Amino acid sequence: MAGAAQTGTDRAEHAPQQPSLRQSLSIQRRVLGALLIREMLTRYGRHNIGFLWLFVEPMMFTLGVTALWTATKSVHGSDLPIVAFALTGYSSVLLWRNMPGRCIGALWSNLSLLYHRNIRVFDIYAARVILEFGGATISFATLSLLFISVGWLKPPENVLEVAGGWLLIAWFGGALAVTLGALSHESELVDKLWHPFSYLLFPMSGAAFMVDALPKIAQDYVLYIPMVHGTEIVREGYFGTRAHAHYDLAYVIPFSLVLTLAGLLAVRWVSARVVPE
Amino acid sequence: MIRLTDVRKVYRTRFGHNVVLDGIGLEMHMGERLGVLGRNGAGKSTMMRLISGAERPTSGRIERTMSVSWPLAFGGAFQTMLTGVDNIRFISRIYDQDFARNLAFVEEFSELGAYLREPVRTYSSGMRARLAFAISMIIEFDCFLIDEIGAVGDARFHDRCNHELFGKRGDRAMVIISHDAAYVRDHCNRFAVLHKGKLAHYDDFDEAYEDFREHIGLSNRKVSVPALPGHGIAPGRSALIEVSQHRALQDDRFRALVMEGDWRRDARAWAEAAGRYAAALALYPYQRSYWVQHGHVSKEQGLFERAEISYRTACALGEPVQDVAEHLAFVMAQQGLDIDAAPPGRYRKGEVAGQAPGQSDIDLFARAVWLCDPAIGIGDGDRARLLRAHATCDALLAAMIGDPRAAAATRGTQGGEAAGEESGEATGGSEEWIRTLCAVAFAPADLPRMVAAAQAITGMEDAWRHLLAAGGFADWPLAQAALQQAALQQAQTPEFKS
Repeated sequence: MAGAAQTGTDRAEHAPQQPSLRQSLSIQRRVLGALLIREMLTRYGRHNIGFLWLFVEPMMFTLGVTALWTATKSVHGSDLPIVAFALTGYSSVLLWRNMPGRCIGALWSNLSLLYHRNIRVFDIYAARVILEFGGATISFATLSLLFISVGWLKPPENVLEVAGGWLLIAWFGGALAVTLGALSHESELVDKLWHPFSYLLFPMSGAAFMVDALPKIAQDYVLYIPMVHGTEIVREGYFGTRAHAHYDLAYVIPFSLVLTLAGLLAVRWVSARVVPE
Repeated sequence: MIRLTDVRKVYRTRFGHNVVLDGIGLEMHMGERLGVLGRNGAGKSTMMRLISGAERPTSGRIERTMSVSWPLAFGGAFQTMLTGVDNIRFISRIYDQDFARNLAFVEEFSELGAYLREPVRTYSSGMRARLAFAISMIIEFDCFLIDEIGAVGDARFHDRCNHELFGKRGDRAMVIISHDAAYVRDHCNRFAVLHKGKLAHYDDFDEAYEDFREHIGLSNRKVSVPALPGHGIAPGRSALIEVSQHRALQDDRFRALVMEGDWRRDARAWAEAAGRYAAALALYPYQRSYWVQHGHVSKEQGLFERAEISYRTACALGEPVQDVAEHLAFVMAQQGLDIDAAPPGRYRKGEVAGQAPGQSDIDLFARAVWLCDPAIGIGDGDRARLLRAHATCDALLAAMIGDPRAAAATRGTQGGEAAGEESGEATGGSEEWIRTLCAVAFAPADLPRMVAAAQAITGMEDAWRHLLAAGGFADWPLAQAALQQAALQQAQTPEFKS
C-alpha cells in the first residue's frame, strides 16, 4: 500500500538507524495489528458475544432490510429475486458508508497515540478502514452462505467478479474515509454534512435499483456516482447476464486513484498540524 | 544525540498567531539531564511534544539519533476503556517487546494486583499514575521526557520512581519539566529557562532560578497584579475564600514564594520560612492552607502568639478545625491559655457578618477604619486579642469601630490633614486591597453597588467614606450600632472638631 511505504520512509528520518523497507513493513504490520486489536477491544469489549458484533451488527442491518423489501415487494426493475437483490445492494451500502462514518473524528479520540513514535496519523485511519472492511465482508459472506444453503439464493456465477466489484467499492470507500477523516480533524463541518449526505446518497448508490431499469437519461447521470459501478459489478458476478449490468472501469478506477491521492495529501497536511493533547 | 536548531512553533488561534517557541536551540547527549523552568503557559509542554516527535515544528530542524520516550507519567497514553493488562499488551506489541516479561514487571512495580484486570477508567488517579509510570519503564528509551512527575503518588512511590529513573537509568538523557523547582534542582545537571518563546541555558541552578524569579515578577520591586477577568472582584467573602485557594496556586509568584518557604522549612530555617509564607499570604490573604504552614514555622520559632493567630485564621478560612485544634491548643497552653475559653471559629457559608474572622479580615479593616499603614501593620498582640474576643466578622468590625484609633482616624481625615498622601504611589497592592474590601463589605447580590464603590475609592483615606456612602456593611447589625455610637460620641465632643 502506498501509505505503508510513506509512513515507512517518514519514520526512517528520525529513527536511530535507517531501517530497510522490510523492517519498515514489519513495523507497519505490527502497528496495524496492535491498533486493530485495541480497536476491537474498545469497541466491542469482552462481554456477551464480544468482537462477533463486528459482523453480527451489519448482518442484522442487512437481514432487516431484506425482510422489509421482501414484505413490501419492492419494485427494483428486474426479474432478480428480491432476497438476492437486497443482500447485494445493502451489503454494498454498508461497505462504503461505514468506513467514512468510523474515520470521521477518529483522530480526536486517538490523539494520545501519537506519542508513540511508530504510530502515524495514517495508521489510525487505516486500522479503522480495515476493521470496517472486515466486518462488512464477513457479514456479506456469511449471509450469502446462509441464503445459499437454505436455497433462497443460487451460488454466484462468477465469484472472482463478485470479489472484484466488492474490492472496488471498498477501495472507493476507504479512500473516501481517509479523506473525510483527515478533513474532519480540521473542520467540524465534515461530520455535520456527512450524515445527511450519506443518507441522500444511499438511494442513488445503486443499492435499490439496477441501472438497466432506469431511463437512458438517468443512467448517464447515475453512472457519475462511483459506488454504482461496484454494485453493478457485484450483481453481474452474482447473476451473470441476467443482471444487465452497466459500469465503466475507465471511470471508476481513475476516480478512486485521484481520491486516494487526495486522502494521502489530506493526511499529510493534518499530520503537520495536529497537536496531541 | 538530540538537536533542535532554530525551532519555531506558531499556533493559529481565532485571534491571530500565537508564537509559543520563537527560535529555540538545544542539544542533548547521553547522561545529560536538562531541567526546564518556565512560568505557566510558557510553552514547556509544547517543547516536550516537539522533542518527542508527537508534534511537528512550524519551522526549524529537530534531529534525533536516540530513541525518545513519550512524556512520562502521562496518563493519556493509555486507553481507559481497556484493562491495565490490555494496555500493557498494546504497548508491548507496538514496541515489539516481550509481553509476559513486561506484565511481570508492571505487576511487581505498580502493586495494582487484581485491578490490572479491570478497566483503567475504574482506577483512582494514584493508581493510574502507578500504572502509567510502570508502563513507561518497560521500554528502554535512550532519552526520557519527564513532565510533572512530582505531582502524583505518595512518598514511597516517589522513592521507587526516583530509583528506577535516576538510579537504574542514570546513564540516559532526560528532559525534566516541573512546577517544583526543587525537583529540577535535585535531579538535573543542566538547566534552562523558557521565557517569551526563547530558551536560555545555564550550568548552574541558582543562576537559572534567579532569572526565572525575575520572569515571574518576584525580583522586581513593582509587583504587577495579573489582570483579572471583568472588574476582578470575587463577589462576597465566601467566593473570595473559594477563589483564593486555586487562584493562588495558579499564580507563579505565590507558588514560587511558598516553594521557597518549603525549602527553608525543610532546612529548619524557621524564620526565613515564615517570611516567605507571609510574603505569599500578603498576595493572597484568604488562601487557607499556607496559614497553617505559617503557624507551624512560627510555633517552631517559639512565637506562640503569632502561631495562634495563623492557626485561628486558617480555621476561619475553612481549614478543618480537627486538623489544627491540637496545634492551637498547644500554642495557647504555652501562653498559659485554655483553648476552650476561646475556641477557634469555623468557616461556614452564608452571611458574611456571621462568618468567623481571621487575620486577613483584621488587616483589611485596620487599613480602612484605623488608616493603619499596611507596611507597618498592627501588632500581633492586638490581632490575638481581637481574634480571641470576637467570633464573627460583624463583632470584630464593631469592636474596631469602637476603638479609639477609629475616632482618631476620622478626625485625621476630616481635619483635612491627609497625612502621607500616597499620590504617586498607587500601587497594585492597594488596588487588590480595595477589591477585597468591597467584596467583603457587600452582599453578593449587591454586585452593582460593590463595583460602584470599588471604582469610587482611590486609596486608604477615602475608602471608608465611600464604602459607607455606597451602603457597605448595611446588613452587619453590630457594626451599624457601633457606627451610630461613634457618630453620637463625635457629636458630643465638638471641641475635637477643627
